[in-house]
Amino acid sequence: MAVISLAQAINQALREEMRRDDRVIVMGEDVGRRGGVFLCTEGLYEEFGPDRVIDTPLAESAIVGVALGMAIYGLRPVAEIQFADFIYGGFDQIVSNIAKIRYRSGGQFSAPLVIRAPYGGGVKGGLHHSQSPEAYFIHTAGLKVVIPSTPYDAKGLLISAIRDEDPVIFFEPKRIYRSVKGEVPEGDYTVPIGVSRLVREGSDVSLITYGAMVYECEAAAEKAEKEGISVEVLDLRSLLPFDGEAIIKTVRKTGRPIIVHEAPKICGFGAEIAAFIAEREILSLQSPIIRVAGYDTPFPLVHEHLYLPNERRILDAIKRAVSF
Amino acid sequence: MERELSFAEALNEALREEMRRDERVIIFGEDVAVAGGVYKVTKGLLEEFGPNRVIDTPISEAAIVGAAVGAALMGLRPVAEIMYMDFLTIATDQLVTHAAKLRFMSGGQLKVPLVVRTQYSLGRVHGSQHSQFYPAWFLQSPGLKVVLPATPRDAKGLLKSAIRDDDPVLFVECGLLYHRYKENVPEEEYLIPLGKADVKRRGNDVTVVAVSRVVREALEAAQRLDERGISVEVIDLMTAQPMDSETIINSVKKTNRLVIAEDSVKTGGLSAEIAARVAEEALEYLDSPIVRLNSPDMPVPFSAKLEQEYMVNADKIVDAVSKLVG
Repeated sequence: MAVISLAQAINQALREEMRRDDRVIVMGEDVGRRGGVFLCTEGLYEEFGPDRVIDTPLAESAIVGVALGMAIYGLRPVAEIQFADFIYGGFDQIVSNIAKIRYRSGGQFSAPLVIRAPYGGGVKGGLHHSQSPEAYFIHTAGLKVVIPSTPYDAKGLLISAIRDEDPVIFFEPKRIYRSVKGEVPEGDYTVPIGVSRLVREGSDVSLITYGAMVYECEAAAEKAEKEGISVEVLDLRSLLPFDGEAIIKTVRKTGRPIIVHEAPKICGFGAEIAAFIAEREILSLQSPIIRVAGYDTPFPLVHEHLYLPNERRILDAIKRAVSF
Repeated sequence: MERELSFAEALNEALREEMRRDERVIIFGEDVAVAGGVYKVTKGLLEEFGPNRVIDTPISEAAIVGAAVGAALMGLRPVAEIMYMDFLTIATDQLVTHAAKLRFMSGGQLKVPLVVRTQYSLGRVHGSQHSQFYPAWFLQSPGLKVVLPATPRDAKGLLKSAIRDDDPVLFVECGLLYHRYKENVPEEEYLIPLGKADVKRRGNDVTVVAVSRVVREALEAAQRLDERGISVEVIDLMTAQPMDSETIINSVKKTNRLVIAEDSVKTGGLSAEIAARVAEEALEYLDSPIVRLNSPDMPVPFSAKLEQEYMVNADKIVDAVSKLVG
């Protein structure tokens, strides 16, 4: 099996879906001739031509608005927002129209579209190119939100997202576009939306995470293991719907959940997971529910290594949990 | 002096007093001047302060908030109105990318002392695009303050504090309450500080943290539960960012039971953050699971009956509290 990067896995998913289904259209800033600023759409323009791989103006509202129109008319658009930070330009289209069209039309219309966007820090992108805005979209009913952390999942989840009858926000952790490589089968397979992946089994503490933080959690878990603490790592993969069953299962097993993400702590996705556990599974808890997250400040440029959760901060949290 | 004002009248008075006090305070938004605001919150301000300080804008929310950012950077104290909270999605980039970040980006050289006033109209049969309550989004945008008054008296004191604050404040009003009732509002000047929750009713058995419209529902529920011998403490969050964890946690330490009630969809709402804080900082004081009462995770229904079902009300709070103590 070929070993490829996360960005290449995205590319493969798009290419295979475009070959399979001529309703699949790719559009966004620089996705055509340039092949995408992170090269996720490289070569698609050459293979599928300018009617299916469309370079758009710098107008996020237009990109997602046009995608919605296409989806209502029977196409399967995959719109790219060049950086997740720019998604606010298209926010109204996403929240007011895309998320609601199925409900507002009494099920007469749906919006089978995907909005792909690289997100997160770790690439020295500064405060306008490093943010993690997933919490905005989990708080918007009508959307699905997916974040892969491996090449295999990236391809399988993106194929599922393209085939989904409802709109999917697909955030790609850009700092691991190239640094993470893995085996990816050629040809058709899917990873279902809404199902998590158990990365590592353990019995003392549960790290619940997604995106690039999966690797920081794995590193912290290994360190903890050396100190005799057994750590489970759960990669959620889908944030909306999220895999509540798997969360409850791991909390029942360890009693010590820690949620790790890059976005600011306050009202981040970790708040939802913590609240979900505090509502459903409080009697299983052996320690407070800890969140390790970005700080409640704009994303810093020079201090991003301090802002982003890392092995050390996660390990501190693990020790706090077991010593409670 | 005793006199009673509605929510809208109290806000109007706050704006008028601040405009008289400080000529840098200007108001703009859709229909705020000649029409006095679609809900009459800015009534009479054009007549008193003239068209240079009370400005009708085009229907362009990005321009309204964007212009407010510019005006604030240049030393004014703009109060921009976004007619419905739903329309804030068009101005989100201006608010999140610019207003919230400029102080930080400039290393403190710039400040953005603006207020964006808006209202949500849940409960008025306005449909899925004119009813939404989404303050939780803006907590994910550090640099903004988020204020959610629940009573006329608080609305006035908080709005005056927001206008005097040196940082951008999102001020979310509840449209349903504008003209619904009146209460005593002091005539003499007063401010209510941002970042403080308010214990609206003392109790010992269960803490109910409520937000905006739902505070009145919680107080009604507490009254009914009191008749059954259940003592409920009602906390009005008032400011969501910065959030007053201390008042909430002190209450939970006393009651050991927490219900959070608010008007947004459940997943990722303010109630999630409140629950998460208590589960992180005061878990050992909890005698029962934390309960969140929100609207279901779906768009706001247009049918009046369905909308009523969709909303948190006193009955639902009574049920939730009864289950917890039962």
